Amino acid sequence: MTFVMAVCVAVVFGVSIYMLLGRELKGLAMGVFLLGHAANLCILAQSGSPVLPDGEGLKAPPVLSHGDYEAAAHGGEALSRMVDPLPQALILTAIVISFAVMAFLLTLIIVSARKTNTLDINELGKEQLPTPSQAH
Amino acid sequence: MINHQIILFMAIPLAAGLISVTTAKNLFLSRLIGCVSLGGMVTMGVILLWLSHRDDVIYVSQLGNWQAPFGISIIFDSLSGLLITAASTVALGAYIHSFDMLEPDIERRYYHPLIQLLIFGVNLSFLTGDLFNLFVAFEIMLLASYALLTLGGTRKQLTQAYKYVLLNLLASTIFVMTAGMVYGMFGTLNMADLARIVHEIQADPDRELPTGFTALSITLLLVFGLKGAFFPLWFWLPDTYYTCPISIAGLFGGVLTKVGVYSVARTFPLIFAVGEGSQLIILIIAVASAFTMFLGVLGAVSQHEIRRILSIHVISQIGYMMFGIAIMTGWALAGCVFFMIHNMVVKCALFLCCGAMEKHAGTDDLDRLGGLLKRDVFLAVLFFIAALSLVGLPPLSGFFGKLVIIREGWPYYWGTLSIVGLLTGSLTLLSMLKIWGYGFWNPTPKAHPIRTDAPTVKRNLKAAYTGIVFLVGTALFLGFAAEPVCQVALRAGEQLEDPVPYISAVLRIDPDVLRVSLEAPAAPQVTLSAAAEASP
Repeated sequence: MTFVMAVCVAVVFGVSIYMLLGRELKGLAMGVFLLGHAANLCILAQSGSPVLPDGEGLKAPPVLSHGDYEAAAHGGEALSRMVDPLPQALILTAIVISFAVMAFLLTLIIVSARKTNTLDINELGKEQLPTPSQAH
Repeated sequence: MINHQIILFMAIPLAAGLISVTTAKNLFLSRLIGCVSLGGMVTMGVILLWLSHRDDVIYVSQLGNWQAPFGISIIFDSLSGLLITAASTVALGAYIHSFDMLEPDIERRYYHPLIQLLIFGVNLSFLTGDLFNLFVAFEIMLLASYALLTLGGTRKQLTQAYKYVLLNLLASTIFVMTAGMVYGMFGTLNMADLARIVHEIQADPDRELPTGFTALSITLLLVFGLKGAFFPLWFWLPDTYYTCPISIAGLFGGVLTKVGVYSVARTFPLIFAVGEGSQLIILIIAVASAFTMFLGVLGAVSQHEIRRILSIHVISQIGYMMFGIAIMTGWALAGCVFFMIHNMVVKCALFLCCGAMEKHAGTDDLDRLGGLLKRDVFLAVLFFIAALSLVGLPPLSGFFGKLVIIREGWPYYWGTLSIVGLLTGSLTLLSMLKIWGYGFWNPTPKAHPIRTDAPTVKRNLKAAYTGIVFLVGTALFLGFAAEPVCQVALRAGEQLEDPVPYISAVLRIDPDVLRVSLEAPAAPQVTLSAAAEASP
């Protein structure tokens, strides 16, 4: 499973970097979006048991077990079989943040396209002749 | 309860930001709210810094009363306190300055809320004790800075913004992945808890740090290096900072890159420069700092526009701070901290002076400037003080930080870093004299006479002068009353060098017990992870 996840992360990363290197602004935005997904997948892949050899680090999820007594009565396995919720909380936060950044990036693209009539990075960089109205 | 009062450093700017969204159309009210919020934070920062220094405590607040390794800790120690106070001071100066510099309709486009949210992000990143929360703080700060950078939306701003936005997005993505990997490796994201685990493993000869720890550290160095504009990663900075309105450029130049440097100063001596890989990491920081100092100042000398000179200078000064971090003794870190707060104030003051010069001459091109000494002696004096502080002439503030860093660095790397530092200092003087000579001393060039009327310009710059005087006054205070500030900076350096007080304050472990477990691994360890192991 780790291997499959690693391949997924690598592929998504590769595609997003390829899109980031393109000249089309819309492709660039998609690349940024994919990059966020790649990072989230990567966190998910990392979120197994900590790799420390023994003793150190919290192996169990950081949940203070309210129902431990009953769990013990039923075999005591409940907590140890739970998935660690923290990486998912991290991913959720990261998704929300990447939404906000994406919204900003798309707005920037719209505004700059209106101003310059182009969606191509080369065109955008070319005409930088300062006009008097632009002087700071 | 002072411990929980430190939450106000986030609550005040957030509240002020939200309130000033509703008053965006009313300039006077927005300005008043902004000044009250920033001024309040400066006052509170000074008072808390003094109290924490007097009682020798580190204020810790556990958000929502979730105890340390599980919840998010907010920590106010000398380093955070100094930087928060300096950042709020700089923000207040630049904010007052901007009343004269921004067009009213740009100001109405939510400039005031954005400044408050930027400061909210900056303060959170200085205070947080959690690696993932540091990422969130970075994002809050960066999102506000993206919007401020494109405020006004001229074509030059829009095209240069892509570079800044995309590079910072890439860095943030790498940061969030690295944070995930740190969690995968150690099972915690709390910096104090990470430091405890790393130091315990380090102290025990039978155990080794997990594979890939050094790689993780270097990835984080890359992330912070991109935010802080270290040597190979600084290319985005000179292109972006000169495009935005000058007061905002001053605020960015003063505050934003220092957040990257702060993150290195906080996490590396504590966590990531521990263990066998530390030699390599410190060497990377040292080499990068030499190149950052020297190439930055060479770039500044080669430029011919004030904004560009000042922007590239930001990079050169970052080099000194990394130099202090690379030496990593208590005194060197103290020098680094003092230099950071000095540089925030002085660099911003220089940008603000540049804004006033532009109002006089209508340009920042040194070929078209001249004769400003006669037109505006007051501005010339302010600029002169700020420029010499930046260079570091003895009674002024730049001297003390540089002195400590260069003296501490002398025994390391055969003194090369110190020599590069001294050389950089002299070239800094050269580039500042270039602005002084062309802008103030030379007569006005005949081809480009200045058409504006000097008294009218001066009358329109009242708020701008207030901002500049405030910052230059702070710089003078840092120079002439260096003793108390140095004491606090020294304590910050000690806290960075010795992790025990920090860890024990956050995790609430007795410092003596902790010191035993970090230094003599045979002793029984009373730690939280042991308690957690026992519970299932």
